[in-house]
Amino acid sequence: MVEDVTCRFEGTLALDHLSLEVDRSEFVSIVGPSGCGKSTLFNTISGLLRPACGRVMLDGRDVTGETGHVGYMLQKDLLVPWRTVVGNIVLGAALTRGVTRRDREEAEALATRYGLGDFLHHYPHALSGGMRQRVALMRTLALHKDVLLLDEPFGALDSQTRLEMQMWLLSVCEDLNATILFVTHDVDEAIFLADRVVVMSGRPGRVLEEIPIPLPRPRDLEALTAPRFIELKRQALGLLHGAGSEVPT
Amino acid sequence: MRPIPPGLRKALVRVAMALAAVALIFGLWNLVIVVFDLKPYALPTPQAAVAADADNWSVLAGLTLQTVEETAYGFFIGALVGFLLGVAMSASRTVQRLVYPALITSQAVPIVAMAAPLVILFGFGMLPKLVIVAWTVFFPVVVNVLDGLANIDPDLIRLSRAMGARPLRGFIHIRLPATLSPLFSGLKIGATYAVTGAVIGEWTASAQQGLGTYLQTANASLDTQGVFGATILLTAIGVASFLAMVAAESLATPWRTRTTARRGLRLRTGFSAARPRPAYPSRHKIGE
Repeated sequence: MVEDVTCRFEGTLALDHLSLEVDRSEFVSIVGPSGCGKSTLFNTISGLLRPACGRVMLDGRDVTGETGHVGYMLQKDLLVPWRTVVGNIVLGAALTRGVTRRDREEAEALATRYGLGDFLHHYPHALSGGMRQRVALMRTLALHKDVLLLDEPFGALDSQTRLEMQMWLLSVCEDLNATILFVTHDVDEAIFLADRVVVMSGRPGRVLEEIPIPLPRPRDLEALTAPRFIELKRQALGLLHGAGSEVPT
Repeated sequence: MRPIPPGLRKALVRVAMALAAVALIFGLWNLVIVVFDLKPYALPTPQAAVAADADNWSVLAGLTLQTVEETAYGFFIGALVGFLLGVAMSASRTVQRLVYPALITSQAVPIVAMAAPLVILFGFGMLPKLVIVAWTVFFPVVVNVLDGLANIDPDLIRLSRAMGARPLRGFIHIRLPATLSPLFSGLKIGATYAVTGAVIGEWTASAQQGLGTYLQTANASLDTQGVFGATILLTAIGVASFLAMVAAESLATPWRTRTTARRGLRLRTGFSAARPRPAYPSRHKIGE
């Protein structure tokens, strides 16, 4: 999965000739200062925004400005209150071609597999924040896209729940074969989850550095405190704050 | 004695409270009569007014039905027009800017003044009454539906677009359900206005007898018991319409009050844990 240079929109330069290439089944975290154009990048990849110049390529196909090719999940869970857990998971099907029995069966299987088996027919308001985000992720998975864009999906959760969700996402990823782009503010989260961390500069957004994360998988809590992890974190923080070794870890 | 289930007990308490409120109003009414020593022809007791209704029920039943019909038909027309206008106005900013001032103006027109010209236009039949009732009902519906559609999270719209939503499906599955709660807020207001509209309609266009015309006749002959009797009936129609909307709302928007979907509304598949599953091999079991 390749993706080419993209550029400005609405007068201000949000992305400055940014290029990013992502391999199939790769997990790439993107970190950068606020307003560096991470969301603009995702909106461009998902087809919601058409870049002034540059292209979005997916498996060698130009999909610039076309929606429906990737799964997209935002920080807000955006579950619709009038649909149950299962109903929300099949929302993508409902919006595109109509829900089939197979979709529902798969949604129930997904929800059951990932710890929501007792809540299939609950309305979202009855779920906790972490559970809602799980449903939102399952809704994204149920679209069956090879590429998933996750825009700070755990940003609104408390740190305890967030760590649980990260472990959960890691296990989900092992089941899947999806290519994932993951935007976050949290350097720990970026390193913990990813095969590669992309550090972006402040506006206009450019790729500052790409840090490969050679930590072995499957990863558990121990990985978070491993010396290699700390070293990678030091490197990422240094890049983010524009300085090298004086950043304490 | 068998214990009462908590759900039923809650419901009983609420009904009891509502009845207590009515009793309180009737009590105050009686108190006012006693304290100011009012004669029955000036202000009858509520018991007397209700008794007059009971005595006269053979006549009043038909009149009540007539007024209920005007109220109900006018209400449905007004609600439908209001809903369609709200949806149409939300679809285009130009339409909204064009139509909104006209709507506000329409509500500034005194409805009583409108009644006479409507009779000249539409005759003495049902039509002018329906127009007047619909006229009072559609406005709160438009305003609430518009608000509901304007308050949909733009991120939700973006997400549905990113999913590749078809416009009609997006409308049916996102925008339409989002109007339901505000729609019912509008309908509840409209339901109580509707009766007033029906009475004003009857006062000016009175080919068929209804509670409004009865009220007028009773008033002209200083039959105060009849006046208050009819007023109590009209009030009851308004309250009943409101309650009907509350009931319809809880049926139409179950997610507001319920934790889980009703059994009949669940997306049934016959999926069971025992069946072999397709996709997603199970390697990790994650508890909540």
